[in-house]
Amino acid sequence: MFRMTPAVAGIAFFSLCATAQTHTYKDSEWPSYAADLAGTRYRPLSQIDASNFSKLEVAWTFKTDSIGNRKEFKLEGTPLMVNGVVYTTAGSRRAAIALDAATGELLWVHGEHEGDRGAAAPRQLSGRGLAYWTDGKQERILYVTPGYRLICLDAKNGQIVSSFGKNGVVDLKLDDDQTILPDLTTGEIGLQSAPVVAKDTIIIGAAFREGMTPKSMRNNKGYVRGFDVKTGKRMWIFHTIPLKNEVGYDSWEKGSAEYTGNTGVWSQVTVDEQLGLVYLPVESPTGDYYGGHRPGNDLFGESLVCVDLKTGQRKWHYQLVHHPLWDMDISSAPILADINVNGRAIKAVAQPTKQGFLYVFDRVTGKPVWDMEERPVEKGTVPDEWYSPTQPFPTKPPAYSRNGVSTDDLINFTPAMRDQALTIISKYHIGPVFTPPVESKLGGPLATLTLGTASGGTNWPGASYDPETHIVYAYACNACLTPIGLMRAPKTLSDMEFVAGTAGQEVRNRQGPGEGVGADTPLPSRTPAAGRGGRGGRGGAAAGTTPASPPAGGGGGLTVQGLSLIKPPYGTISAISLDKGEIVWQVAHGDTPDNVRNNPALKGIDIPRTGQLGYNVGTLITKTLVIAGEGQVTTTPEHPRGAMLRAYDKATGKDAGAVYMPAPQTGSPMTYMMHGKQYIIVAVSGGNYSGEYIAFTLPDSEDRGTTAAQR
Amino acid sequence: MRIVIAAALLAVLVCAQEASKSVWDGVYTEAQAGRGKPLYNQHCASCHADNLMGGEMSPPLVGGEFLSNWNGLTLGELFERIRTSMPQNNPGKLSREVNADITAYILSVNKFPAGKTDMPHSAEFLRDIRIESEKKQR
Repeated sequence: MFRMTPAVAGIAFFSLCATAQTHTYKDSEWPSYAADLAGTRYRPLSQIDASNFSKLEVAWTFKTDSIGNRKEFKLEGTPLMVNGVVYTTAGSRRAAIALDAATGELLWVHGEHEGDRGAAAPRQLSGRGLAYWTDGKQERILYVTPGYRLICLDAKNGQIVSSFGKNGVVDLKLDDDQTILPDLTTGEIGLQSAPVVAKDTIIIGAAFREGMTPKSMRNNKGYVRGFDVKTGKRMWIFHTIPLKNEVGYDSWEKGSAEYTGNTGVWSQVTVDEQLGLVYLPVESPTGDYYGGHRPGNDLFGESLVCVDLKTGQRKWHYQLVHHPLWDMDISSAPILADINVNGRAIKAVAQPTKQGFLYVFDRVTGKPVWDMEERPVEKGTVPDEWYSPTQPFPTKPPAYSRNGVSTDDLINFTPAMRDQALTIISKYHIGPVFTPPVESKLGGPLATLTLGTASGGTNWPGASYDPETHIVYAYACNACLTPIGLMRAPKTLSDMEFVAGTAGQEVRNRQGPGEGVGADTPLPSRTPAAGRGGRGGRGGAAAGTTPASPPAGGGGGLTVQGLSLIKPPYGTISAISLDKGEIVWQVAHGDTPDNVRNNPALKGIDIPRTGQLGYNVGTLITKTLVIAGEGQVTTTPEHPRGAMLRAYDKATGKDAGAVYMPAPQTGSPMTYMMHGKQYIIVAVSGGNYSGEYIAFTLPDSEDRGTTAAQR
Repeated sequence: MRIVIAAALLAVLVCAQEASKSVWDGVYTEAQAGRGKPLYNQHCASCHADNLMGGEMSPPLVGGEFLSNWNGLTLGELFERIRTSMPQNNPGKLSREVNADITAYILSVNKFPAGKTDMPHSAEFLRDIRIESEKKQR
């Protein structure tokens, strides 16, 4: 019989803790939203490659319609796969579900009915995913409900872990170093991204309503917190808007740090477990396009902030945009990359952005890997706005998508189209990145015409990274135009001086798609209500006499004969070497849209593949491929109406196959191995097609065996 | 008898596959689109914008991106998507008549020609009308 001496027991106990805290996952699994805590969206799997990608078949599908009381058309989740089980969020209820990874069979489902609190939530619908944690024995699933409650489930059966928080729940509107106003039910704060668990700490950010037309300059603040995964106890908090006496407070003039809100971390958090450091991508402060009520640089708005994993203490920060006015946020997961620059090994963090800059820092010190230059930028003319005289520009790598508008960017399929485009933009203010918003005037400018702002560029799906070649692969919309015009806010709408609006049009509250659309929003009763009823009851006679003339700017406003005002490529995937700070290759992503390919006015003009508009395309990389679905549907001689899941050769960007999907990709793809077969799951939805997860795999005839390591 | 049934079945199949009309055939009236405009502004514009260009996170309802995404489907499918899921903060609230008027307004802004009869508000009838981004030569 073996008896443990106290010393041995101590060591054993210590090593138990150590293994519990650093559980290692197999390459064949996908244990975290972005594959790993480094944000790579990479798995070194090789069964699916250029020789067989086009032969992929649907292994199973999971329709999310019944997870909630209405269908969802905006399914954005990336599932996890651990130990043969797929975990994800789904449906208008945002339930957590577990599926058999080989068959898609539903193993369990857990949904929370949050009533008025869920109905009032700023970010409803299924969200982007969830987090998995294990100490080798217990397995837990963690996700945040629309009503901003952190739920802890037993991964084996979906049951609440009652020892966590209060009966398995942490109310995230409490214990937040602020009182969420006006009350716990309707107080604006939520989260749609997936939580992250690093070692034994859960990290939770915050999200708010769209910020184009805030009701008030005052709002709740988006602090970041760490919680103990075993108990749900709050371990630390980081104030994204500093308190008095904290670093950065002085960057809010006239005491504006006291009342300004938002400034949350709504996107994915990245962690270096070895260094014990957390990387937080912080969004814009209250008022996406007007900052007159928050004079100063507004730290830590639009800053990359590094904090300690154990304490939440700030280690370093870098503000990418001073005094944010363009809704650039920092919209996606920072990427950890161990790179070599001129023979020097650097532990780096790379940040893709809406503005098409890939910012690269030493992740220990926060020092830029390549010089950042503070360059003078245009000062705007909006009354009472505060302008930063300079903005930081990375000297390397070059911008990988358009982040300003010039006449060179306009449609040029034909001279007539270009002339039309010039006429349209004459009503707008244009310029390079950081050209400020304008007050909208009927005589012009109607707005500042921008690229690489609210939509991006690279938005929430983020980018991928290959740790072997040190290359980042980033999808970006290259033609997602956002006109930014400001109008004086009607007092009934907001206490802000200016909000987004267009001269000649009613200034109204602009909503995002996450509001009032989840399963907790009451469905209307089937009895006649406002806006219903017979023809006589619809707003009086005036309604019937209003002419249906197109709005100012011509039907379609910023399009030329229905075509994008901006020339192709509309969307791209770029491969960017972090060793060199250079773009290695760039391809247009997505088939040429139907209205370009079939346009009678373009007959006989040779137009190379244009790529597609859309900001929510995410990439997956494997041993040899970059994989991303199309964000739009097309009907081509090669395939019926649908969208393609495409593969590219990682080394060259050359086409490496495509497979048909019935609807556009709306959640980023992931991959895993199960019973010796490689699978790819992608979320599709949109148009007339409600949310569905589709799992692809090769037909058995194509399964050429795998290495033991991949099983 | 068998042949008759087969022919009838075939006819049904052909009808199901190929809608007989398209949005280029004048499937709404100007008056209907006129009624639809203020209803659109009231119920839809806060997300999709006054000029139908969409918002930061809401798709446009005019232009190439919109037409590409619906090209090849039918008005029935567009109508049912609107009827069952819009407006997003109160889906299903609007009557079929209101939804038809709003859909007519969307067609008018997309420069599809108006005709002599109002757009019907039954999805079954609307499934007979194809959405074609470009007018086909017939």
